Amino acid sequence: MALEGLAGALVIAFVAASIATVIRLAPSGSAESLTEPQKTPFLGGGAPDTHAWQRYHIRYYPMTLLFIAFEMEMMFMYPWAVVFVEEGGKAMMEMGMFLAILSVGIVYGWREGIFRWQ
Amino acid sequence: MAIAILRRLAGAAPAPAFPAIGAGMRAAADDLFLDGRLIRADSIRHARILLVAGPVREADQDDIRRLHDQMLHPRATLWWKSNPVRDFAEPATCDEDDPVAAIEAIHRALIEGARDSEPDILPNEPPNPWRGKGDYGQGGEGMMGGTPYGRPMAMTDDDLRDGLALDAYTAPFGPFLPMLPPGLKLSVTLQGDVIQTAKLLRPPSAQAEAYDGTVTALRALGRFLPILGLEAHAVRCLEAARSLSAGKPIELAKIRQFLFWSGALAAIPSGIGMVEDTDVRMRVERWLAALDESPTGGLDGSATMSPLKPARLVDLLRGREWSEAILIVNSFDTDTLISLAPVEAEDAETEGRAREDGIRMDHEGHGTHAHGATGT
Amino acid sequence: MTQVLAIMVLPLFLLAGIVAAAVLDRAVPPLVAGRSLKASFVGPITVASSRAMGQTGATEHPDTISWILAPILYFTLAAIGLSVVPFAPGVVAADLDAGIVLWGACESLTVVAVFLHGWSANSPLPLIGAYRYVAIGLPAMLLSMFVLIAAALPAQSLAVTDIVEAQRSVWNIVRQPAGFVLFLMLGLSLSLRGPFDFADPYDLAGGTTAEISGAARLTWWLARLAMLVSVSAMTATVFLGGYLGPVLPGFVWLVVKTGLVLVVLVGAGEVFARLPPDRMMNLIWLALLPLSFLMLVAVGVELLLWG
Repeated sequence: MALEGLAGALVIAFVAASIATVIRLAPSGSAESLTEPQKTPFLGGGAPDTHAWQRYHIRYYPMTLLFIAFEMEMMFMYPWAVVFVEEGGKAMMEMGMFLAILSVGIVYGWREGIFRWQ
Repeated sequence: MAIAILRRLAGAAPAPAFPAIGAGMRAAADDLFLDGRLIRADSIRHARILLVAGPVREADQDDIRRLHDQMLHPRATLWWKSNPVRDFAEPATCDEDDPVAAIEAIHRALIEGARDSEPDILPNEPPNPWRGKGDYGQGGEGMMGGTPYGRPMAMTDDDLRDGLALDAYTAPFGPFLPMLPPGLKLSVTLQGDVIQTAKLLRPPSAQAEAYDGTVTALRALGRFLPILGLEAHAVRCLEAARSLSAGKPIELAKIRQFLFWSGALAAIPSGIGMVEDTDVRMRVERWLAALDESPTGGLDGSATMSPLKPARLVDLLRGREWSEAILIVNSFDTDTLISLAPVEAEDAETEGRAREDGIRMDHEGHGTHAHGATGT
Repeated sequence: MTQVLAIMVLPLFLLAGIVAAAVLDRAVPPLVAGRSLKASFVGPITVASSRAMGQTGATEHPDTISWILAPILYFTLAAIGLSVVPFAPGVVAADLDAGIVLWGACESLTVVAVFLHGWSANSPLPLIGAYRYVAIGLPAMLLSMFVLIAAALPAQSLAVTDIVEAQRSVWNIVRQPAGFVLFLMLGLSLSLRGPFDFADPYDLAGGTTAEISGAARLTWWLARLAMLVSVSAMTATVFLGGYLGPVLPGFVWLVVKTGLVLVVLVGAGEVFARLPPDRMMNLIWLALLPLSFLMLVAVGVELLLWG
């Protein structure tokens, strides 16, 4: 069942990607090639001095670290969800503790100001 | 065959136009795009027609040329109550109050091929020479020499908020960006999306919109709400403003109610854009209060129109995140904004040029430097 | 055999959904603006042809390959996400034991697709849109995963088919009403709409779309609509019982429910205001994420006591 399912997903992925590629690369009505002034980045009239690519100052670095902690936690949650009803109270306790620790993490992060845009 | 069908369908689509608005035409342009036969393009790349509305300032002419050339084929320009800028061959003009028919005609002619797409005005040259010289064809020698791929890279600088030294990106924004008042051109230095410094290059074009309580408030809301993602509500406000100016009765209670449920006020951060003890949110509240009053009376104009000498727009924008900055700029009416943007504009522009030159010289300097280093 | 049927039905379902979403996109804003309603099927088609006819632009030295791949990836992710949705009992294109894991993977890669789309233009406004979207897209994804786990608890399985069957007694929207709302928010975030449109907003002149035109814009537009359809079908399946329902055949029920969610999402996109990105990030981490924890605990307790 798993193998068939995976095959189905792959078929769908292939078909969808093909359709999107055809639409994206289909020839348009106009054949003119792009000129240099046509390629100036849009700034409402002005032209930039430099490339836009830069060592961009993202304001949420610490948030992404906290995010990784939560993403890893999801790995643990998937199997837990399947056995939860069988295991009952024990599983509940385990996940409760786990979530509590993570919540403390959020509160700590909030106190340290990691959600500030800086 | 397929192309013919595509053409017929495309001809029936609303005409995507990008408005470049000059003095006194802002309200007319806002009203124009309430028409379902047109689409207001947010970016010039989405437009097929450049609609120049109203007179073009001398200083804006280069920007109009650049905008025109950025448009993709097939393209056309319509000068609506405007003076065509030099270099535009056979300009299409329209002096009627309602140019929709003219725009539609041009759009259809473009799609059907009856009208040729306009050629470029500016020369087909890269911004800086880069091919052929240097190890990687970057147009210079050494690590920092020349301009790789036609433009230099941004340089590092300390950040206002956390002092981290990452790249400070400087670029001119405006004068025809949809979310800035027409004519306003700022040289903004950004680190990420936080404004480090803003320099006024050109003040907004004067709009000469007579102060009229409710109508003014509705128009202001119509320009402000799209920033909060409330485009449909903005249309409702602009339509109400138009009806009210024409003397038709409108239902203001509904507008207030919808805005209340949208959470618009809660979405505006408090304490930004402080001028005379009012911040952005309070100014928006003031517009909402103006809706309650009688259409003719309105709130006393002096509250919003008083001269605001001590504050400067560029100071209000400093240290603000981009969307907050856009909220601040749009919380003022044009006259107030002009008073906040004192016209040292000429100086500012020459300064801007000097700075541009500075960057270029800088790079050349770096080039020789690096070259010297590799030499030893 | 039923799998082949599902694979054949899926493109049609997606196409019909895209058309419906495009029609709604033109019909709902006038409705909210209080103007006369003119819903037409021709409108979206003319706009699509208009875009297909135009020249496809570029900027100076963009990352061309990423720029071309981003909308294709986005569209493909929407289709893969839809492949785990059962159209009728046993009729599902990808009947995986870990269906919601595949769905979660599609969600997270969407952030990559949107980021690449804005980044590769080498232009400031799309660049800001791209980075901004990541700040919201990441925590929004966490929300949905907690909500989906809570939906998987009563089913004792990660397979979407089992999650539907487990709703025979009671729909998940009753078990976790707040989870339903959170999942709708994720839908807005995945399809870049209204209050969660941090990639392509007006204050960035279209954000990641500011530099695209012609076929590139057409593909991006279709991909956004496809993602909207996909997330609507997933919402209908996980929270509204999917194909379950009396009298009518299962497929009809799924279509009706998907359509309903579609209307709600398009409407919500027009009606609610967008917070600045920093406030939104705070709201998600400090209010919505704890809320999703509570939902999970509530479902767990309910299962222990009465399950």
